[in-house]
Amino acid sequence: MSNQDTKVGKEASDLPRRNFLRILGIGAACTGAMVSAGSLIAKEQVNESATAPPPPKIPNYDWNKHKWAFGIDATRCIGCLRCVEACKAENGVAQDAHHFRTWVERYVYLEGEDKPRIDSQSDPQNIAASGSEKEFRFDNRYKDAKVEKAFFVPKLCNHCTHPACVQVCPTGATYKTKDGVVLIDHSYCIGCEYCVQACPYGAREFNHVLGVTDKCTWCYHRITKGLLPACVEVCPVEARIFGDRNDPQSPISLFIRNNRVAVLKPETGNAPNVYYVGIDKDVS
Amino acid sequence: MPKHLVRLLILVAVLAVAAIAAKKFFTDKSYYMYGNYRGNSVAEIASDVPRFRGNEYCKSCHTKQYAEWSSSPHNSPGTGKHVKCEVCHGPVGQHPSTLPAPLNFDERLALKEGITNYQAFMPNGKLPVPKEECVQCHEAMPGRPLVQRQVMIAAHAGTEKCIACHNPHSPKINFAAVLQPPRGDASAGKAVAAACGACHGAAGVSVNPAWPNLAGQHAGYLTNSLEAFKSGTRTNAMMSGMAAGLSDTDMQNVAAYFSQAACKTSGGDKAKVDLGKIKAASCALCHGAFGISGNPVWPNLAGQNADYLSSTLKSFQNGSRKHPVMTSVAKTLSAGDVANLAAYYASVNCK
Repeated sequence: MSNQDTKVGKEASDLPRRNFLRILGIGAACTGAMVSAGSLIAKEQVNESATAPPPPKIPNYDWNKHKWAFGIDATRCIGCLRCVEACKAENGVAQDAHHFRTWVERYVYLEGEDKPRIDSQSDPQNIAASGSEKEFRFDNRYKDAKVEKAFFVPKLCNHCTHPACVQVCPTGATYKTKDGVVLIDHSYCIGCEYCVQACPYGAREFNHVLGVTDKCTWCYHRITKGLLPACVEVCPVEARIFGDRNDPQSPISLFIRNNRVAVLKPETGNAPNVYYVGIDKDVS
Repeated sequence: MPKHLVRLLILVAVLAVAAIAAKKFFTDKSYYMYGNYRGNSVAEIASDVPRFRGNEYCKSCHTKQYAEWSSSPHNSPGTGKHVKCEVCHGPVGQHPSTLPAPLNFDERLALKEGITNYQAFMPNGKLPVPKEECVQCHEAMPGRPLVQRQVMIAAHAGTEKCIACHNPHSPKINFAAVLQPPRGDASAGKAVAAACGACHGAAGVSVNPAWPNLAGQHAGYLTNSLEAFKSGTRTNAMMSGMAAGLSDTDMQNVAAYFSQAACKTSGGDKAKVDLGKIKAASCALCHGAFGISGNPVWPNLAGQNADYLSSTLKSFQNGSRKHPVMTSVAKTLSAGDVANLAAYYASVNCK
């Protein structure tokens, strides 16, 4: 039985298999040729567009002329949280204690303790002190404690030079602009939140109303009009510094030049563009 | 080639063409313009309308408030102190072209006070600043840098609102310019003072330690006290009657006379003085580190009679005398504190 079967099978399929393999070879060669031709054409297109891409149509603004950066002088921050409220008002961030594009952390080292006690404006005790989830303030819980050292650290999106969030976005909804800002195109965001996971700084929040991810834009709609980001505009103690790195006399260029600045989590390789002064080893 | 394979290849080709066409059709024209994203979205994001408009926008109408603010310590750009309009008042948005004005600051305030029409809440054009707005930056708190002006609220103001003493636009109190009362004529005041001498002494040094010395006291404080007795906001069996007969000029003159008289330090119980000195730190902000007040409408305490000082504090505690700051401050003091403070100030040299 088995002998016969093998014989019959061999006779019946020998020729077609050879034919099939031949066709397959030709097909593969053709596909390879098409792909390589296609990629050549694509390369030509990229080269063409690289020579003359008109900048985005923003009135009186050319993104090739700017390189934005942000500075934070934590030695000046008083934890008044005007920036957090201003950001929410300016950008229509959800008025609750769970969605923030910028936030402020408080680090308190008590006498005899190695680790800092850290809280932010969304801490339940602080929400109770403000009496509302729409207003923010730090409660005075360490008033009578033996505090060795304490300070506030404002945080926001670092607008990294090599942003991990852009790397993982499957739809091209988030991207880095020529002037150094990481933005989100809400019409292309599918709400998968890969970027929220990828960001090492926890800077991204999810907009549950629109079903898309949101984040700090350095108030792109303001800086392209010659204004400061809202949080910088309202900071009463000038702890937040913003400006153009292309201008050597801009506040941020002076800030970086005149101070020993640090960035958060440099080991991740994201190369952040928010520069800090006055932060401690436990701030990351 | 077998037919079924040809059919399969054709099908694959058709699907590939359809997929390429669909991608061309559905991908935005600007998608690969600058990279793997929709190029037009950059301009779309940039076209949002700012809500914070900056000081210059506010200045265009509120010139008076702007002038007050611009010469105050709240306007010291470059020094780490630059409290612009929208820091306290919130974003101006499209105010005043859209109503209700989107000043969330006022909305918030009105909500707190249970007032829906907050424009009626500002009848004289003044925008009240609730205490919370000031303490958000100025409450003493670990973590705030030392250069930031900070106060212990209970000791500094009690339950009084900040605006009782401070104008938020220009919070530094310029005592000499703002509160200097009209000057009286000391020589004309001497005649009026004859009636006071029976109790307070002809030279302003009281004959009874329960009554205050007037010599060397601020004229502004003396005038205000007489006015308070006359108007009835402060009452005393003797003084209410005495003040009722005095004209405004009389009050200023007699105040000027006593303010220029030589003061006398009454002295206090040595044991209590040392304890009182420690407690006096919380009084020093208004009444001066050595009992000489920097504000002409707040009294000097140095050298004053201990009995009078302690009875005054007790009258604030029991409510028979009222003052926005002193009422709440006095309530934080124990009976021992009162006695010690009185002894301390009585012993401080008044000169």
